[in-house]
Amino acid sequence: MQKHITTSEAQTERLAEKLALTLQGDEVLALHGGLGAGKTAFTRGLARGLGIDDGVSSPTFALVHEYDGKFTLYHFDMYRIGSYDDLYSTGFFDYEGCGVMVIEWSENIEAFLPEKRINIYIERISDNEREITIEGAKPI
Amino acid sequence: MKILAIDTTASPVSAALLNDGFLLGEFFLNTKTTHSQTLMPLVDSLLKTTDTDIKDIDVFAVNAGPGSFTGVRIGVASVKGMTMPLDKPCASISTLESMAYSMPYTDGIVCAVMDARCSQVYNALFMLDNGTIERITEDRAISISELENELSYYEESSIYLVGDGALLCYQSFEGRLPNVQLTPMNIRYQHAYGTAMAAQKLAESGKLITSDELMPVYLRLPQAERELKAKQQKEQNDQNEQNADNK
Repeated sequence: MQKHITTSEAQTERLAEKLALTLQGDEVLALHGGLGAGKTAFTRGLARGLGIDDGVSSPTFALVHEYDGKFTLYHFDMYRIGSYDDLYSTGFFDYEGCGVMVIEWSENIEAFLPEKRINIYIERISDNEREITIEGAKPI
Repeated sequence: MKILAIDTTASPVSAALLNDGFLLGEFFLNTKTTHSQTLMPLVDSLLKTTDTDIKDIDVFAVNAGPGSFTGVRIGVASVKGMTMPLDKPCASISTLESMAYSMPYTDGIVCAVMDARCSQVYNALFMLDNGTIERITEDRAISISELENELSYYEESSIYLVGDGALLCYQSFEGRLPNVQLTPMNIRYQHAYGTAMAAQKLAESGKLITSDELMPVYLRLPQAERELKAKQQKEQNDQNEQNADNK
């Protein structure tokens, strides 16, 4: 487990960018953190680390966004997912092993997350500061 | 009667061409490539290499479920797309049944299992006896432990596990059912050949359907209604906050 303190959104993105460099290409990353914690910023950094320049936006409405880079990045938002049927019909299970999966609001599908995953907890300390805890990843 | 059959319901993808019960050709891949990219090239190569004009196909068969959400839709949509302009009949086949049709000359029980996550499988049992296939159960979603309990009543028969949940079940049973066997790789997964064979039987009994009638078949998990734990907690918290705001 590693803990990092970031003092700006840009730093959060840079931390994620470094994490991206340690990935093999089939990891599941479960993001935990409330509204405005910086989950999308973290994903943006991660995408940049995988060589993806497209603008990363929150997939709250589309449920999943797909980006092509060094590995394919699948960016999920589970905010509106409330049952197994909801989750099944996102095609979530069909993506496993096909690329890097980043999951916002992973709390909502905890029972269905693979055991082997990287957990990322983003906690707000102040307006600009965040404590970011990373479990299950290689050291950054 | 020429039958073109496809399967895209789980990780493998396959296409087979059957002519009056004779297998003219079959392609099978089991990679992680998206079926939306592999299926049509497979079908196209199969038709070309067997020198078959798509207009000469009499029946288009597809495994319409159970299976992965995206996979089932790719298969069903592709067959709809091929049959609509040609106005040809379709055969909607159960993925689980197609697996039994891949190994008819076995005696015993075929236990077809597909991984539905959370220790549950899509399953059906078939009794095979000297070339006949008799369905014992409907297609259903069932927990692996319930399935083990059910299988324990068939201690007189050999039981063959097929499907992408076969290894998972075999390992979960931990040797408690000595008559249960894992099948070898060449028949472990669903093949379009089995789909075509099941379709031939449907055609003989006059149960083909139109392109419009073809629909994906999804099975619900018994626990599907269960709200996910963390979600419930979140709603509870939201409720509490709202109550606090109202005070």
